[in-house]
Amino acid sequence: MLKSLKITTAVALTALTLPAWAEDHTIGALFPLSGPNAVYGDVFMAGSDLAVEHINADGMLSGTMSIAYEDSQGLPQPAVVGMTKLVNVTGVPYTLSAFTGVSKAISTIGQRSSVVAVNGGGVGPDLAALGEYFWNVIPLVNLEVRAVVPYLTGEMGLKKMVLVYIDDPFGQAIESELETAFEGSDAELAEVLSVPVTAQQFSGVAAKVRSAKPDVVYVASYGAQQIQIVKQLRDNGVDAQIVSYSGYITPDALALPESDGMIVTGQAVDYASEDPVTKRFVTDFKARFDKDPTAYNVNYYNATLLYGLLAAALEKDGTEVTGENLLAKRLEMKTFDLVGGTVSFQDNGTLLSPIEVKQIKGGATETLDTVEIGG
Amino acid sequence: MLAIQLAITGLQTGALYALTAVGFSLIFGSTRIFHFAHGAAFVIAAYFFYAAFGAGWGVIPAIGVSAFGAVAFGLLLDRLVYVPIQRHEGSFFTVFVASFGVGIAVQNVIGMIFGRGYVTVNTTLSRSVEVIPEVYVSPLAWIAIACAAVFLGGLGFFLKRTHTGMALRALADNPELVRTFGLNPRAIQAAAFAIGSVIVVPAAIITSATTGLSPAIGHHVMLISLAATIVGGIGSIPGTMLAGVMLGLAESLALLVVDTQWTEAVTFAILFAFIIIRPSGLLGRATAH
Repeated sequence: MLKSLKITTAVALTALTLPAWAEDHTIGALFPLSGPNAVYGDVFMAGSDLAVEHINADGMLSGTMSIAYEDSQGLPQPAVVGMTKLVNVTGVPYTLSAFTGVSKAISTIGQRSSVVAVNGGGVGPDLAALGEYFWNVIPLVNLEVRAVVPYLTGEMGLKKMVLVYIDDPFGQAIESELETAFEGSDAELAEVLSVPVTAQQFSGVAAKVRSAKPDVVYVASYGAQQIQIVKQLRDNGVDAQIVSYSGYITPDALALPESDGMIVTGQAVDYASEDPVTKRFVTDFKARFDKDPTAYNVNYYNATLLYGLLAAALEKDGTEVTGENLLAKRLEMKTFDLVGGTVSFQDNGTLLSPIEVKQIKGGATETLDTVEIGG
Repeated sequence: MLAIQLAITGLQTGALYALTAVGFSLIFGSTRIFHFAHGAAFVIAAYFFYAAFGAGWGVIPAIGVSAFGAVAFGLLLDRLVYVPIQRHEGSFFTVFVASFGVGIAVQNVIGMIFGRGYVTVNTTLSRSVEVIPEVYVSPLAWIAIACAAVFLGGLGFFLKRTHTGMALRALADNPELVRTFGLNPRAIQAAAFAIGSVIVVPAAIITSATTGLSPAIGHHVMLISLAATIVGGIGSIPGTMLAGVMLGLAESLALLVVDTQWTEAVTFAILFAFIIIRPSGLLGRATAH
């Protein structure tokens, strides 16, 4: 009888204490899951879901990890609603973010509530200055502009540019970067044309571009709109070289025949690296999705894996997994083994990476040049 | 030359706006149903064409599939959603919310089937050629203008010269009187949905080749349809046609005087101007209250 009582007491005590040790981990994600930018949501989730699968398979954390997805539509207002829910209802300590406008809108909530927000898709340069709780695992677009302008004006001899950009914080940041990049050079930014976020008809814009007779047209938009701009420029007789940034490297855009010959920039990732994290990611990604990964897949895999590494280290220390402790642990650990190799954050919470200048050919990209960017 | 180019571009855009808006105007004018899901009919027509053409069915069968999809959607929506709500004396707002919900559901279903990204119908007809120095026009621009002339002319003839057309106009004026004459308002309402849905097909097909498609394109279609219907005069088919062309031209020609970012604002500036100065629209009838 006494033995049974002891066993029962032991089981009861174990059951009572177990949740403290095997606590499930939920992080948030604010991705565009509907609307014209929804295609990005699929791309981002492919990376983050694979990371969760690996973290759980490895038993990296004491409990099961999952992601609570909220639909930001790629717009600030729904994103703020989603972030508020994630912080106040779901109670996440860490969330994934994407898009410049979205990231800027939610960053204040993260800062105020000590919830870490990690961006792997937005590239507006302002994202480097959103406070200590906002981190970027993607090089920002100012670095892409700095890499591509010398290539265009030097290697390719294209001296007259027209910029077509979306009228939002991201597009305005690109305009500002290009104006700075052209200052003091023998090349010129001949015309700057902004388009509303909701615009879909660009034949009139194409007529204005054509009348400016540029050597090169820089398209700075995202989602369906950027593809519509490229298609309508080509359809309406614009034969100049078209250039864009990493946001253009999506399956839809690469599949568009009019994209052929375009120059795009993006972070350099060595997919052939022999380090175990990269090898496992590339192998499993190809097996699961039957295609090669893109930088966005890598970024959200890395952003999710980063949580796993930090939370595991906190659990090992016996420290609670909160946004505040995650930040402190990131500052303490300094370097992380992620896809692409061992990386470290700059003081502003942004990862540095070399930038590749690529050309779209036959639905894929070919690297023309790799530019090392200094901190 | 830029002005000529923009005028031709505006005419093409206006032709598509007119074709899109007239269907909505016909349905709203004759049935008083705020058919927000008209944008969804556009999306269905466009994606059905994209799927059939992409499967190698050829242009004519693909047009047939597109028309079938749009008409079937219009008729089913009327039969399964609007009629039951009206039978229970649902308010104008109830019908609007139901229609809005259907629009969102269609957007998501299309996204699930065809993917949520951007798709386009690849054809050389969308490629512009230089017709005079520095003026480029694509064959699809002429096709859009010709389609608008044929379809809108045909609709005008249908409404004036056929029994069903006259019944549709009568339904807009007085549904009770239609019943008194032994006609079935429900059948006439179904005809309005069938015709209003099929007339969106040419615009949907041409858009799939020029602008390209995403499941969310329906909202933009509705905005333009609504603006053209109000500017043209609610219930006035010729007014909506004229307003569609006018909005397209204004959006394009505005580039001569304003920055590119204001082109869409021009459409809504015209809309507000009409609401304030001429609420009855271009060809609408003034009503006393």
